[in-house]
Amino acid sequence: MNPGNSAAPPDAGSPPPADGIALAYEPAAGVGECAIRIPLGGSHRASPLNESQKRRLVSAVLEVRGEPDTRLVLLGVDVDGLRPAGRAALRDRIAFLPADGGLLSSLNAWENIVLPIGFHSPRRLRDVEAEVSGVLASLGADPRELLGKLPERMSLYEKKLTGYVRITLEKPDLMLVEDPQGGLESAERAAAAKFPAAYLQICPGGTFVQLQVAREP
Amino acid sequence: MIGVYREFEGCMRLAGHVLRRLPVLALPPVAESLTRQIYFTGASATAGIVLRGAFIGTFIIAYVIDVLEADAALAVKILIWVVLREIGPLIAAVLVIQRSGTAITTELALMHISGEVASLRQMRIDPRDYLVVPRVVGVALSTAALTFYVQVIAVGGGILLSSLTIEASLGELVGEFFALAKPVDFVYATIKSLLFGAAIALVCCYHGLHPPGMSINAVPKAAINGVTQSTLLVLLLNVIFAYLVFGQAFFGLVTAKL
Repeated sequence: MNPGNSAAPPDAGSPPPADGIALAYEPAAGVGECAIRIPLGGSHRASPLNESQKRRLVSAVLEVRGEPDTRLVLLGVDVDGLRPAGRAALRDRIAFLPADGGLLSSLNAWENIVLPIGFHSPRRLRDVEAEVSGVLASLGADPRELLGKLPERMSLYEKKLTGYVRITLEKPDLMLVEDPQGGLESAERAAAAKFPAAYLQICPGGTFVQLQVAREP
Repeated sequence: MIGVYREFEGCMRLAGHVLRRLPVLALPPVAESLTRQIYFTGASATAGIVLRGAFIGTFIIAYVIDVLEADAALAVKILIWVVLREIGPLIAAVLVIQRSGTAITTELALMHISGEVASLRQMRIDPRDYLVVPRVVGVALSTAALTFYVQVIAVGGGILLSSLTIEASLGELVGEFFALAKPVDFVYATIKSLLFGAAIALVCCYHGLHPPGMSINAVPKAAINGVTQSTLLVLLLNVIFAYLVFGQAFFGLVTAKL
């Protein structure tokens, strides 16, 4: 895994080129937030200063819209000049996994996993079962045990795993994962540590970003 | 007043979205959600509606016979006017509000508060497509089906009771019913019940997706808003229908002459 924020302070003059950048979130000087710059490809960690900055960052990425005082680059594109169609196309290449897995409580693990595929590419539904089993097996999980469970009967790791499989199947170019190992026991943490490698195996050119708030001094 | 206007506008926008996005019903997750809604609202409510329908039909016919000293023709006419056209759709609507209206508002409000609606957006799924469209269509179809059950059971029960209490045979009453009932009665009741069902689901979905806060206390408040406003809307729609059909606009389409 590549280290840290790879953060560099934004230039005072013209903005640096966006080429080769997967994610750049650069607040103007004086906003009180740190800049985040992640290169394209591989696994990285982004460390916002606090929960508030993390929320702003996630919201900006998911809406593909930087705040007025912030420069946002996604997958090599400065989003400032983008038209709505361009924003939507860029958004389709990005996935986000919240810390709790972001599951729907009325659906079991399988239904949660295939929900976005059922919406965005329903033709893939016929072939997706083998793909799901493959991803779960690569992470050492038993599909028969997990897929029928409702979220209320899952551990936190199982929720994260289900959410992770769900977004991996969409093969995003940029995957943002909120605190993948947070709240887990040591064995589960070890299993969650395999998420980036499993993702990069499926999407070799993709960028995996772990979002983890920097620890308070 | 501004709040009422905002809610009305919100429901109208939601209705527009549902009409525009009906094709999403072909997507597997939405189709599955529609099936669940129809099962919950239509199929699992059947026992309750059968009992209510039988009670209502029997009650109305007993009352009419006693008060109006009705003969066979009048008893059947009253059954057609009251049960077929008015009480059938209303009883079904009340049952749907009691069961599905509260369930829909509560479920959606909880999903909103627990962040599940936001999760759908994160998956690039419009919550209205997945949560509102199948519920509105499912509840509308189920209300029409339940109305049909009420009509059959209440009219059947009423005719059976009449045959026991007035000087008319069962065959005579059934014959009278088929002579007086017209297809337009069923069309009228079906259109009305479809509209009732859609209105109930729209209002309840709107309040579920816009609870008055993000704490758990907002859930019962949303449920109360959904139930009271959908009940009012159903009664208002009923009045509008009665005016349109029995009043000036389509006078003569459905007549009510003794």
